[in-house]
Amino acid sequence: MSGPGCTRFAPMLSARPGELPAEEERALHAHLEGCGACRARLADERALDGLVARALLEEAARVDFAPFVDQVMARVERPRGLRGMLALVARHKVAAAATALAPALAALGIILYVSRGPEVVPQVGDVEVVSEGRGPVVLSTEAGPVVLLGDPTGPEGT
Amino acid sequence: MAAGTAVRPERSAASPPAGSLGPARSRRTNGAFLLLALVLAPSAGQAAESTVPVRVRIIKGSRQGPPSMDPKLRDLEAQLGRLAYQRWEEVGEHSRSVAFKKPVDFPLPDGSVLTLTLEDARKDTVTFQVGVPARRTRSRLTISKDQRIVHQVTDEKDGAAYFASVRPWP
Repeated sequence: MSGPGCTRFAPMLSARPGELPAEEERALHAHLEGCGACRARLADERALDGLVARALLEEAARVDFAPFVDQVMARVERPRGLRGMLALVARHKVAAAATALAPALAALGIILYVSRGPEVVPQVGDVEVVSEGRGPVVLSTEAGPVVLLGDPTGPEGT
Repeated sequence: MAAGTAVRPERSAASPPAGSLGPARSRRTNGAFLLLALVLAPSAGQAAESTVPVRVRIIKGSRQGPPSMDPKLRDLEAQLGRLAYQRWEEVGEHSRSVAFKKPVDFPLPDGSVLTLTLEDARKDTVTFQVGVPARRTRSRLTISKDQRIVHQVTDEKDGAAYFASVRPWP
């Protein structure tokens, strides 16, 4: 810095176009016309800016962002259709098995319930005699039933 | 620690060893057993009474001769006294445990058999099927625990016939 004006205008050298008020910009130009040191500093600033910008652009260009979107979408989107369903089943095996088994168990329960029908509870004194070619006789006593075979030549009875 | 040695994290004491059932698997196994128990439960009550001790006596009744009653048949007098035979004697006795739905054969004096099947057994009642295949007769009878079945098992011949008495829980 060669003078007090340089101290004032030094921070303005790195300002972007349009960043300074018009009055300060005019004052800066007037100072630069008369100050070689500040012109040299401004030239250095601009050269440095160019180098940094170029280096950053080169660094960014070295990274290939082309598959980035595809990679993100591959993680976001899930396969659909049969393949998607199979993948879902493979991920949740227990839940899938339980889901498939539940209706089968329910159907089995219904079949068992229907096939059993209403339960007939035997009562004391229930007697059923089946005899071919005979007329069986049943006597009921308090001590229990007495079953007689009947005459073999008699009428068939049950 | 030597450089390059891979360090495997220690298994925590709470986690199960490899190959054993983990907590989630164990819960599923318990659930499966519970389901099986629920399915089989209705038949368990019947299985509890699946065997019943039975006393079967073979009795000969005759129309001829002076009236008499074998002293061993006194408990059957109320039933035998209803019949037209006047002489009663016990000619055989068998004590067996009859399993549920499994026929048991008892030999008869004429060479045929009496087939006894336990059809049902409850708190106070029992149901038997009494079969006399030689006479093509099959009876299904339900009695209380203090009753007896008297069943004719042979045809009358020369004024005599054979009977069988069935007594559960003698």
